[in-house]
Amino acid sequence: MTSLRWIGLIAMKDLRQEFRSGGRVIAMLAFAVLACFLFSFSLDRSRVDGLDVAAGLLWLTVLFSSIAGAGRTFDAEEDDGAFRHLLLAPVSRHAIYLGKTVANLVLVCLVAALAAAALTIFFGIAEPGSAAHHASVLFPGAIGLAAAGTFFGLISRHSTLGDSLLPVLTLPVLAPLISLGATASSRVFLGRPWAEIGGSVRLLWAIAIGLVVVGSLLFRYITEE
Amino acid sequence: MTLAGRALVCRYGPTRAVDGVDVDAAGNEVLAVFGPNGAGKTTLLKALSGERMPDEGQVLLDGRAVSGADPGWRARLGLVSHRTGLYLRLTVAENLRFFAAMYGLTAGSRAAVEALETVGAQDLAPVRTEALSRGQRQRVALARSLMHDPDILFLDEPFTGLDPAGAASLEAVLLARKSPGRIVVLVTHDLSRGLRLADRIMVMRRGRKVLEGRAGRFDAEGLLARFTEDPGEVA
Repeated sequence: MTSLRWIGLIAMKDLRQEFRSGGRVIAMLAFAVLACFLFSFSLDRSRVDGLDVAAGLLWLTVLFSSIAGAGRTFDAEEDDGAFRHLLLAPVSRHAIYLGKTVANLVLVCLVAALAAAALTIFFGIAEPGSAAHHASVLFPGAIGLAAAGTFFGLISRHSTLGDSLLPVLTLPVLAPLISLGATASSRVFLGRPWAEIGGSVRLLWAIAIGLVVVGSLLFRYITEE
Repeated sequence: MTLAGRALVCRYGPTRAVDGVDVDAAGNEVLAVFGPNGAGKTTLLKALSGERMPDEGQVLLDGRAVSGADPGWRARLGLVSHRTGLYLRLTVAENLRFFAAMYGLTAGSRAAVEALETVGAQDLAPVRTEALSRGQRQRVALARSLMHDPDILFLDEPFTGLDPAGAASLEAVLLARKSPGRIVVLVTHDLSRGLRLADRIMVMRRGRKVLEGRAGRFDAEGLLARFTEDPGEVA
């Protein structure tokens, strides 16, 4: 119970700061809308059906927006050395990691929802498939993106290469998640039944939970000097 | 109560930032650690607090080994450093309530108010931290560090950037905390102030202890001279 309370408080603290400063939230959301907007102009829609490419573009947009946001996960912690004090508090490292992952998850979910809506509008997709099915696919994907982003965000922050290291670390790890997610989302856009989607969603959950567990277990090692 | 470090070694790559240091701090005492830049003072403090696991040696509280991995140990510590460790986009009250919750204080709001009163900053509670001056932030940081009434208070260059009034206020709070069940370890460049506050002092150079003793035996000029001497036998 205490750990859940810590996780909630850390997530709320992060989100309060993010929405007050606006910088990271605006950057992530603006990137998502702009990317979808540009995609809509880059394709010849007399030859390419929006439904055929929407899933891939959706996941690409969410992936790159998430990576851009993950690089700034620890900005507020480093502004005046707060992270040192948070680590010194008698809070488990798991709670710190999970709290920050939950905050990132909220932002990734916002990006995913906005990107899905933007693609539907910009590509003029009249029947984009079940919203519940889209959410069922995107949510475990967002958990995986947030978990990996939080973990690698701290590693890249401590590296001399900085944020430029983030895509190099995250993309290979997230490749299975993204390919599965895009496949499942494509079926949702095409209006396929849940029986054709459920297997991919179960795998997405397995990968997402795996990333959270591994991130949580390893986080203490990357926070040690 | 006694806090001791025994044969502490901390390495950063090939560099031994702390090189076989023994250190002792007792209740009702302020231990001041002096030394030039790069002497290993902050690393020693991190080793004592458990922020950094020493590569060799151990930290003992009343003769029993303690570790930074133990939340029970961390709950007994407070830290004030030259960086305030506050979240700049939160208000002062939000910062204190957050850290009160992290330390498991059930009445976080009341603890925050009392801590702010201790450092004379109660009127700052609703102010966004980024709007505060350096001195005001440092007062709030001190309030945050005292809120859970730590047994051991570590101070890492806490006077940096403080105006004379702020520094005097910090000194008063530190002296008021002296009691048999409390230990204060102060790392500072400010020899005069450190000597005034400390009961015992220790000088480090190049990761090694070069001098230690009762504060009353030394003056600032004499200590400054030891900064430039080669590490040798402990006086």
